[in-house]
Amino acid sequence: MEPPVYYSRAEFIETDTGNKVSRRATIAGPQNIILGGKTIISSGAIIRGDLRRTGPGHAVVISLGRYCLVGEGCIVRPPYKTYRGNFNYYPMKIGDHVHIGTSTIVEAATIGSHVVIGKNCVIGKFTIIKDCAQIADNTIVPPNTVIPALSLFAGSPGRFMEDLPESTQEMVEAQTKQYYTRFQPLDR
Amino acid sequence: MAPIRDKFTIHSKAIVCQDVELKGDITIGSGTIVHPKATIFAIAGAIVIGSGCIIEESAIIVNRRKEIMRIGDDNLFEIGCRVESPAIGNFNTISTRARVHHTVRIGSYCVIGAACVVVPTEEESLGDYTVFYGPASERRTWSGRGKVQEADLRHKHTEYLREMLPKFNRLRRGDGT
Repeated sequence: MEPPVYYSRAEFIETDTGNKVSRRATIAGPQNIILGGKTIISSGAIIRGDLRRTGPGHAVVISLGRYCLVGEGCIVRPPYKTYRGNFNYYPMKIGDHVHIGTSTIVEAATIGSHVVIGKNCVIGKFTIIKDCAQIADNTIVPPNTVIPALSLFAGSPGRFMEDLPESTQEMVEAQTKQYYTRFQPLDR
Repeated sequence: MAPIRDKFTIHSKAIVCQDVELKGDITIGSGTIVHPKATIFAIAGAIVIGSGCIIEESAIIVNRRKEIMRIGDDNLFEIGCRVESPAIGNFNTISTRARVHHTVRIGSYCVIGAACVVVPTEEESLGDYTVFYGPASERRTWSGRGKVQEADLRHKHTEYLREMLPKFNRLRRGDGT
């Protein structure tokens, strides 16, 4: 097993379900954000839950599954468009075991489970990323792209590179779980 | 160098979030929206932003020159872009993580694509409808098709944000009020 990643206990808030959220992250509209549990939000991340869909009642803007990681300096914000003449932001759904690398900007509509997104990527508006897909570092995914399951995307604009092995699901699951256990507080 | 004097003139109808870094002499016009975590630095000369602009989170607008940096109306500065150009017209879109150097003057209806870098060594003025795209920042001219739709989207976007942002974010007021 790899060495633990330490963080200072003062910086992170841990919830009952094991989510670890940095105090240095900017979380707008927290009442509209759902974290599945055991999800880590690193420092400098910006999550925009305030850009909600208009209409009555409670609106979920961003839902993250379990064992997710939002890297340092990441920006996660819902996409917008006009539909039948009405302007709206649309909710974003992220599955379980999703890792998003540092300084990546995500405006996707849906991200499946077991997805790994690299560093410095730009994921355009209304992108749909299916299960077990991976996106290499520095990829620019144009708006409205659909990334199929078990595929690796890279480049600018992001293009299909290769198919991933069927073991990807188990691998990513193990990786994300291990990362969560490695992410340990350090008292000092 | 003389220290930077802060002077913020924010129109009463502009929406500037509390969590925005402002420095220097800045004027923000009516209906302009500045998202949290944006940065506007008037290091040397002043920055004047027109009406109906949207400046998204972690966008950086810097004026290193002595002259006043003038930004027109209805421009969109998307997430993480960095703009230093001394003059910007109307209805431009600076996409996510694009960079525009201080040697470039931007006309109207220009689009700088996602992660494009516009850094000519000599002074340059971009004509209207110039579009930059792709990893090598190639350029071409937009025919202007869909201009009305784009303007309509921009208009509705600002209207939506004007209503929604104050519900969740604390706002900043100018020196006057």
